[in-house]
Amino acid sequence: MFYKVAEEMSIKEKLGILTDAAKYDVACTSSGVDRRGDGTGIGNTEKGGICHSFSADGRCISLLKILFTNECIYDCKYCINRKSNDVPRASFTPDEVCELTMGFYKRNYIEGLFLSSGILYNPDFTMELIYQTIYKLRTKHRFQGYIHVKAIPGADPILIQKTGYLADRMSVNLELPTAESLKQLAPNKHRKNILAPMRQIQNGIQENRNELVLYRKAPHFVPAGQSTQMIVGATRENDYQLMMVAESLYQKFGLKRVFYSAFVNVNEDKDLPALPGGPPLLREHRLYQADWLLRYYGFQAGELLSEERPNFNVLLDPKADWALRHLELFPVEINRADYQMLLRIPGVGVKSAQRIVRARRNGMLKFEDLKKIGVVLKRALYFITCGGRMMYHTKIEEDYITRNLISVKEKLPFDKDGLTYRQLTLFDDVNFQQGVSGL
Amino acid sequence: MFSRQESGVQSRVCTRLVRRFMAEGTPAYERKGLQGREGHRRASKVRFAKGAAIYNMEEKYLICEDSLEGIFTGIYDAYALAFALREDHKGIHLQVGEEDNFRLFAVYIRVEPDAEKAAKVANTICRRLGEGTYLDICRALASEDKGKGEAIYKTILCGLQMKDGSQVMGNLANRHVHKVFELARRTRNEVHHWKEFLRFQELENGILYSKIGAENNVVTFLAPHFADRLPLYDFIIYDEKRGIFVVHPKSKEWYLVTDSDFDEKKIGDYSEKEMEYQELFTFFCHKIAIKERKNLKLQKNMLPLRFQEYMVEFRL
Repeated sequence: MFYKVAEEMSIKEKLGILTDAAKYDVACTSSGVDRRGDGTGIGNTEKGGICHSFSADGRCISLLKILFTNECIYDCKYCINRKSNDVPRASFTPDEVCELTMGFYKRNYIEGLFLSSGILYNPDFTMELIYQTIYKLRTKHRFQGYIHVKAIPGADPILIQKTGYLADRMSVNLELPTAESLKQLAPNKHRKNILAPMRQIQNGIQENRNELVLYRKAPHFVPAGQSTQMIVGATRENDYQLMMVAESLYQKFGLKRVFYSAFVNVNEDKDLPALPGGPPLLREHRLYQADWLLRYYGFQAGELLSEERPNFNVLLDPKADWALRHLELFPVEINRADYQMLLRIPGVGVKSAQRIVRARRNGMLKFEDLKKIGVVLKRALYFITCGGRMMYHTKIEEDYITRNLISVKEKLPFDKDGLTYRQLTLFDDVNFQQGVSGL
Repeated sequence: MFSRQESGVQSRVCTRLVRRFMAEGTPAYERKGLQGREGHRRASKVRFAKGAAIYNMEEKYLICEDSLEGIFTGIYDAYALAFALREDHKGIHLQVGEEDNFRLFAVYIRVEPDAEKAAKVANTICRRLGEGTYLDICRALASEDKGKGEAIYKTILCGLQMKDGSQVMGNLANRHVHKVFELARRTRNEVHHWKEFLRFQELENGILYSKIGAENNVVTFLAPHFADRLPLYDFIIYDEKRGIFVVHPKSKEWYLVTDSDFDEKKIGDYSEKEMEYQELFTFFCHKIAIKERKNLKLQKNMLPLRFQEYMVEFRL
């Protein structure tokens, strides 16, 4: 093995550079697989995942998220590690990564390893390095914690296959939702090359599932499924396009998660939008809300948005927005409605819907019971009846409900430093902001 | 010690009631048609409070020890009492720990923990209400709430009256079930938080040492997780609020040790590598944050301050 290792660099310096380079990748979940330790090594995994800390931006730290190297032969315009950028470069060795992972893991700092990499020389070479690292971790150190690795597009399918038997989750980043914008911002990447490993992993998981039916002890292939991520706000796509792409990824590629990453402008480039208001966090938030609606609430992307209304409402969450456009379905009787309908009521989540279904077996539910169950009544009250009565004398009328829902301040994760309270001026228009960030 | 004799007016009332009952009370079950050996056998179950007989109209408070065994024994005795007095459970209450404000027209009965009775109750819960409910009850037991005994008792009561007892935890409209649900959820959340935020520090002799300060008694829920995770390591988890230790020797079963006057200085120095790793991780946490998205409020929401004092990355 011969690649440039800056020998004089300390492990701390390397960790600094390669963490800095990896931080824009959003996926940091450790969920999807439940595995007990076998007693011969170290580690186990939990189905729901475990976050071990939270960084200053409020995102969770679950895995040791690092790049193997930030050297890269590509020149993607949005990426801090692009070839033409003059940034300090570093590479780990497989042993260093193993040592760091083990040292952190046994102190309960992390749940496992998230290994990504810039492309060093060529995709095959890079994939081989990643494979060697996790092979060492799994066999020599008998590490049984969570491992998430990137499949490098364009790498040999055999390497990806071998890696898949060692990792828990694999991901290939779609980066941008359409082939056109990919061409524009990442000239060295091709959509075809990105979708190929995705399809390969999907088929691998499917075949493995069949194998496991026959042989219980067969090795698991990517047991926690695969994920991907898209950058939001770097190109012109609207929310409708993003949601349609996400939906087809869930349906056609069997993905576990699609992550959305609000674009952070790290390079000055003429093809990139200027974002004076910071990264489009609200848009990212709305996309995640809608993503949950797709995965857990039985919604279709086409129900939430359409060609005519291609972007999410700034003031209302997607579910309330949908409900207001379908007032003919409301009010819903809590004691009778089926589970799917309960899920569609604003203010009722998956857990409270399940609890309602269980609790109403023992008798009629009243509004105070709903409160105990965890229903957010201040939003749900316009849409429900309990025993044929509504909570207050409210009208089933779009304007009226909209006004009331907006007056209850929505809880957003990022209303930081009081910036949400702005002096209103005559020239302020809510849609104006959106127009800028939607570029 | 529950002190019927010690405190003033209240205790006099209590004593009078008890005396009155003693005069006419004991054969109550016989009057109600239970006769002969059957009657005596059942009656013997109420004799836990020696000599003290109980009057039907009074509220009855069973004072039990704050432990799984204590509370389960209390539940067993409550059932025995209800059965002997041939009344429903409305007037019977379970109280954890001593009463400091005695009620009028109430009898306080002390319950001594009894392993056999507790095992019977545990068995019944598992069999009739299911393992899931049993675990939820155990979680509720780990909380520090004063009302947990009563809530658990009445939840079991509710469950045993249902056609399918395993569904009892779904009956959230019942306030006792809701209370148990709430307590269990709080414990479960805290267990999960400590799984996330607990930090081990390596001592010079290779032992991994960790200190936590938990609101609920969570160490017994944490131990299996870490024993499975680190089977080849010696580790200790110390709950400083309760003086309880989980000790896990390498490749062996874990066990609990109680030592309330433990001095942290005795544990010795940290290993050479320890400070290095703490520094590396702190550096990592610092580097992973995206400054354009800085949001300390969100960080604090996700990671409450009470955990931060136990975490190495917030110390340096």
